[in-house]
Amino acid sequence: MFKLKYLIRKSTVITLLSCVALSTVPCHAGENPLKVVATQTMYSSVVKEIGKDRVDVKYVAPPKFNVHFIQPKPTDVRNITKADLYVDAGLDLEAWSDSLLEAAGKPEFFRGREKNVDMSKGIRLLEVPDHQLSRAEGDIHIYGNPHYNMNPENVKIMAENVLEKLKSIDPANASYYEANEKAFISRLNEKITEWKKLCANCAGQEILSYHKDIAYFADFLGLKAEQYIEPKPGIPPTPKHLEFLEEYVKANHIKAIVMPTYYPKDAAEVLAKRVGAKVVTICQNIGELPGTDDIFSFFDYNFNQISEALK
Amino acid sequence: MRIALILILFLIFMIPKEACAEDIAALEAQVKQLTQVVYSLKTTVDTQQQEIADLKKTYQIKYQTPTPQPASLATILPPKFTPEIGAVADVVAKLDSSKVDPENVNRVSVRELELVLGSNVDPYSRLDATIAFNDKNEIDLEEAYLTRFGLPFGTTARIGEFLPKIGKMVPVHRDSIDTVDEPFVIQRYFGDEGMHKAGVDLTKVLDLPLPSVHQVTVGVIEGGNGDGGTAFGPARRRPTLYGHLKNYIDITDVTNFELGVSEAVGSNDNDASFKTNVFGVDATLRHTIAQDKEIKLQGETFVLNRRESIDEFDATTNPSGDFWGGYGLFDVRLSSQWGAGFRFDYVEPVDRLLADPNKGEIGYTGYLTFYQSEFARLRAQLSHIYLTNGSIDDRVFLQGTFAIGEHKHKLQ
Repeated sequence: MFKLKYLIRKSTVITLLSCVALSTVPCHAGENPLKVVATQTMYSSVVKEIGKDRVDVKYVAPPKFNVHFIQPKPTDVRNITKADLYVDAGLDLEAWSDSLLEAAGKPEFFRGREKNVDMSKGIRLLEVPDHQLSRAEGDIHIYGNPHYNMNPENVKIMAENVLEKLKSIDPANASYYEANEKAFISRLNEKITEWKKLCANCAGQEILSYHKDIAYFADFLGLKAEQYIEPKPGIPPTPKHLEFLEEYVKANHIKAIVMPTYYPKDAAEVLAKRVGAKVVTICQNIGELPGTDDIFSFFDYNFNQISEALK
Repeated sequence: MRIALILILFLIFMIPKEACAEDIAALEAQVKQLTQVVYSLKTTVDTQQQEIADLKKTYQIKYQTPTPQPASLATILPPKFTPEIGAVADVVAKLDSSKVDPENVNRVSVRELELVLGSNVDPYSRLDATIAFNDKNEIDLEEAYLTRFGLPFGTTARIGEFLPKIGKMVPVHRDSIDTVDEPFVIQRYFGDEGMHKAGVDLTKVLDLPLPSVHQVTVGVIEGGNGDGGTAFGPARRRPTLYGHLKNYIDITDVTNFELGVSEAVGSNDNDASFKTNVFGVDATLRHTIAQDKEIKLQGETFVLNRRESIDEFDATTNPSGDFWGGYGLFDVRLSSQWGAGFRFDYVEPVDRLLADPNKGEIGYTGYLTFYQSEFARLRAQLSHIYLTNGSIDDRVFLQGTFAIGEHKHKLQ
């Protein structure tokens, strides 16, 4: 047993030393694209639109999952240790982000630091609390609703945030990034006009949402969203609340119940059946469903869905 | 006067016609050039005016539409350097089948109220502290350590009182474990709640050209164990050295595997010549089915060698002085509100000669967890245990874990 343990220990020490030695060998040579880690697919897509082939972007939160409750993995930690830039939502949406950065031990990526892009900078926030908060109100956000990526107008501001930071850390390619941003904004403006036209029928209509994550989407289209399937943010629906919603939906002639793919559909489907409304999937993340793999197809999908449901 | 006029006329007529033509051509060229410059300048001005208009538009979008925003607390109150403050209450009701209860454990108790504080100290470091109170009026400083980021070679250091990274379960806070109590091998070898010790450690994520991730930690902590632990001697002046290598790989987007190897070397008592070696292996397989639906398989084993045991405790039945223990855990997150699991335990207590030398302690534990919300959790647990003295103990636990304020879990 002693010999076996001695061998195990010796091999452990050798493995550790080999790993440390190997880790000092550079993995890449030559000129590499900027390495960027973004917390969400929306942000990684914006970075890609502006940086094109001069950035290598990875994201942390898989798009099929609720970004509130991500468990970052050691792979994410490693990606951050190698990155040149970190892009996050700011505010308090990604509660796991600070722990992730601490695990990676890169203080330059901390909030407000030189290699951190806070995508919420310059965004007109909705639902900013104006009173003393309590968890009795559910899982609410202290700085305001953080789901601002649901409004394509906000994507322009995000693009500018990214452009500013890319220019500051990679000034040699500033004009390249500027040209890409200009082209991206130009195309986005065209699409915004198209989406507004497509969803002209939505303005003034009311929808029911599962979670309080639809404010910016509704703001863009002039929709009303005042009730939610969750009685309080983050609290699953109760039978009593569903009874109330049944009456509410009937009284207000609500045609659509909107929700992303990752919430349980049971309550929404039961309610929809009772009141004759449609359950509409509105993606929160790029890549959440097949065919929503970039910014334009993501918004195309969402606006087509809502426009169709509210006809 | 006449002569002067004649002279001037003479000079005028003497100038060659070619020279006049050249001047005119030069002047025409200059005019053309100037016209081009003017056009070029006009184009530049037009472009710049367009850019100014665009910028104004952006400026308007960005900064000139704050009207509907209600005043937030942040705007009402001046910003302050308040640290993150949270509290976690751990309320446990326990009932076991033993007829005697000398330690008065069969009761409802506030096992712990943890006060959690943390904040960045400066641009390079962060302080975290956890102070635990229990209903026996005891206060325990569980953690008070500084994390220093961005050291040479990409290392991160911790200094102070912390949970050492030995194995998988020891570094995990009680409110983050899947069961009401820690696995037996952790309780018997390191302490009822694992152990927290003062010391220093260094962690580095290795930059290897592999798809897997490898993280190494080495540290030195004061000697001793947590409450009830027996792996090391009680002398705090004899330090324990430890190392941990975490190896992780994403098998698919939703499945990952982690294999860890640990080694800790410490003293048994005040005499530094006696050494305890603890060697551990941990493995975790996670598979995420959907949002709030996950399966986790986790196992961990420790081999403990205490050299002095050969003479003092176990010379006949355990001549090598080796003891071992481990657990296997199967945990399922069924939905956003429900989770369940099963744990198997086996451990050879260091002081087992006091009981039955031929047997280790075996436990079968099942549990069901109800997540009322992100911050409130209720758990029921049943354990069926074969003790080393040959008796059987059944234990029922009901646990409530409630958190307020800010409480960030460290990444494991």
